[in-house]
Amino acid sequence: MKTNKLTPYLFLLPGLIILGAFIFYPMLQAFWLSMTDYNMIADAEFVGTTNYENLFQDDLFWKTLTNTFIYLIGVVPALVIIPIFLAVLVNQKLKGIGFFRSAYYIPVVTSLVVAGIAWDWVYKENGLLNYVLDILNIISEPIHWLTSTQTAIFAVMVVTIWKGLGYYMIIYLAGLQSIPNDLYEAADIDGANWWQKVTRVTIPMLMPFVLIVTIMSSIAAMKVFEEIYIMTGGGPLHSSETLVFYIYTEAFDRLNMGYASAAGVVLFLITLVLSIINIKFMGKDNTA
Amino acid sequence: MKKKSLISLLLIIAMLVMSACGNGDDSSAKDGEKKESGGSEEATIEFWTMQLKPTFTDYIEGVIADFEKENPNIKVKWLDVPAADLSQKILTAVSSNSAPDVVNLNPTFASQLADLDALVNMDEAVAEEDQKKYVQGAWEANQINGTTFAIPWYLSTEVSLNNKSIYEEAGLDPEKDIPVTYEDAKKVAKTVKEETGKYGYFPSLDLSLVLQHMVKMGADLTNEDGTKAAFNSDAGLEAFEYFTELYQDDLIPREALTGDQRSTIDMYQAGQVATFMGSQFISQIKENAPDIYENTLPSTGITGESGKKTISVQNIVVPEQTESKEAAVKFALFLTNAENQLEFSKLTPILPSAVEALEDPYFTEAGEDAEPIDLVRIQSAAQLDESELLIKPMDNYDELRQAMYDAISEAMLGNMSPQEALDQAEAAWNEILSK
Repeated sequence: MKTNKLTPYLFLLPGLIILGAFIFYPMLQAFWLSMTDYNMIADAEFVGTTNYENLFQDDLFWKTLTNTFIYLIGVVPALVIIPIFLAVLVNQKLKGIGFFRSAYYIPVVTSLVVAGIAWDWVYKENGLLNYVLDILNIISEPIHWLTSTQTAIFAVMVVTIWKGLGYYMIIYLAGLQSIPNDLYEAADIDGANWWQKVTRVTIPMLMPFVLIVTIMSSIAAMKVFEEIYIMTGGGPLHSSETLVFYIYTEAFDRLNMGYASAAGVVLFLITLVLSIINIKFMGKDNTA
Repeated sequence: MKKKSLISLLLIIAMLVMSACGNGDDSSAKDGEKKESGGSEEATIEFWTMQLKPTFTDYIEGVIADFEKENPNIKVKWLDVPAADLSQKILTAVSSNSAPDVVNLNPTFASQLADLDALVNMDEAVAEEDQKKYVQGAWEANQINGTTFAIPWYLSTEVSLNNKSIYEEAGLDPEKDIPVTYEDAKKVAKTVKEETGKYGYFPSLDLSLVLQHMVKMGADLTNEDGTKAAFNSDAGLEAFEYFTELYQDDLIPREALTGDQRSTIDMYQAGQVATFMGSQFISQIKENAPDIYENTLPSTGITGESGKKTISVQNIVVPEQTESKEAAVKFALFLTNAENQLEFSKLTPILPSAVEALEDPYFTEAGEDAEPIDLVRIQSAAQLDESELLIKPMDNYDELRQAMYDAISEAMLGNMSPQEALDQAEAAWNEILSK
């Protein structure tokens, strides 16, 4: 009988080994490095909490952290709500619907470098966006989307949202297709209209998926990097620089690996807390 | 309870397995082929370049084949790495004790490694007579704290590219009005903007370029022993005021503050900029925008009252971890000898760092059918004697550069006056330099 009890855990072992190698071990290693002055070449020396003390005194750290939260607040609601409607739209049994599903998904599989460069053209002073706004008489002179401290971070956010919509749409689509049809049939019998069916059946049934998407998009927003690296380089004047970009610069440009690890640990803790809050508040009634 | 302890046990086992993997004997990371080299012992050396495939595959493979023929006991394994990934890859390799034996790096990044004693000292590894075969300024560009950490490979000096059509459109004479000084550039920027709505001048400010502009305008960055900032002077203020005025009057593209060099080349290729310094992109312009290329006139780099011009150096380093130091240095010297460098220069508009190669008429005489690409090469070679590495490798360079860039950005964006921004930069530099 003992072997029977052990068997399930043996099945888990390969997964645990992989998680151990690629998740837990690097995490512990990063935590250890955050207590050292490691520069990737010389041996690491233990410096205690010095890196954390320096980090909390660094104005740029606080600025990038603030930018990260701005990013989070801007991106997550859009990535949670808009894909629901896209999923509802592409869940219709219409001719050629496969084309629309693919079309929304294309940004997901587009390389961020290509997307970044393409959006760069959209945002340029004489780019597509200013051109359209100009002919619609909305603006009188071009807006410097990526080169103004007021707009740069928001312009990059749009790209993150554009790129993520299709991905989350697919998750919701899977959710929609798992909703039993009899619920809609029952709603029909009760005389519910389309909107009532969406708000009383579809959205409640989708809540577990909303939770997943919220957590996933929050984590994605917290660790945004490539868009910023490609489109603004964190500028102008750090106005679009996020925490991960800051970590990257400290680690790979300045070789302050210990210090960067400390910032990484802070990022990890924030993400962990956000995920727990999400699960507590959104997950309690939806343990599907 | 039993279940919990079983899970814990499994986790501990998993962690132990992982730790064992991580702390394995690093020497096993290297192939076992390396033995004492240089003499007649067998050696296999690994050579990393920065984004030379596929354009220069034949050339590099040819050099390797020639080297292996001359040194049958040494084998060279070549790996080409994308430029953007090179610093990360080399750092990872060095930190896991599996560094390649010969690597192509730029002086700034190489100096960071040298500062951590990760590179072979070339003053000791290269015979004095061999050292003299290189352009003096290029050899000295690879020195930090008195030691030479690399062998110079290829060079370039600053050459401006000018779009003749935009000059003509603005009513300027491309032969006479092409800017040589910062003041000229400002005048061209004003006229071109007024007459055409385009940009006359696009100065890049990323990386070390702000510092270079300041030195060219006559500012000393630090005192002689490099312990204090010295740029808070009339010349330094002039530099800050100059770029602030150009930016706020919309005479230079806004991308000057956020774009890397890709923006400058993009805008020049799109015919929106009359003059910029980026002659290293001439082949790219030829391929992407043949019309603009035909209209391009190369000219001497823009400078300030100091008359200084800068050279860029690409170099070859040998990481200290190599087990085949002699073979690695031998290959580095072979790769950078006059003959091989001359051949390389004929494939792309770069200048060799070997003095003998530079004496070839290829760098001094323009034929009647000379194209812009030939003119760039000749112009670049002609000003080599008066060019030097303006920003010498220094400790905490990246922080210093960033502090200056942030300060000038504050002034250009109008958050501070140029003097306030200069004061901020001075305070930041003094703090960094005192570390």
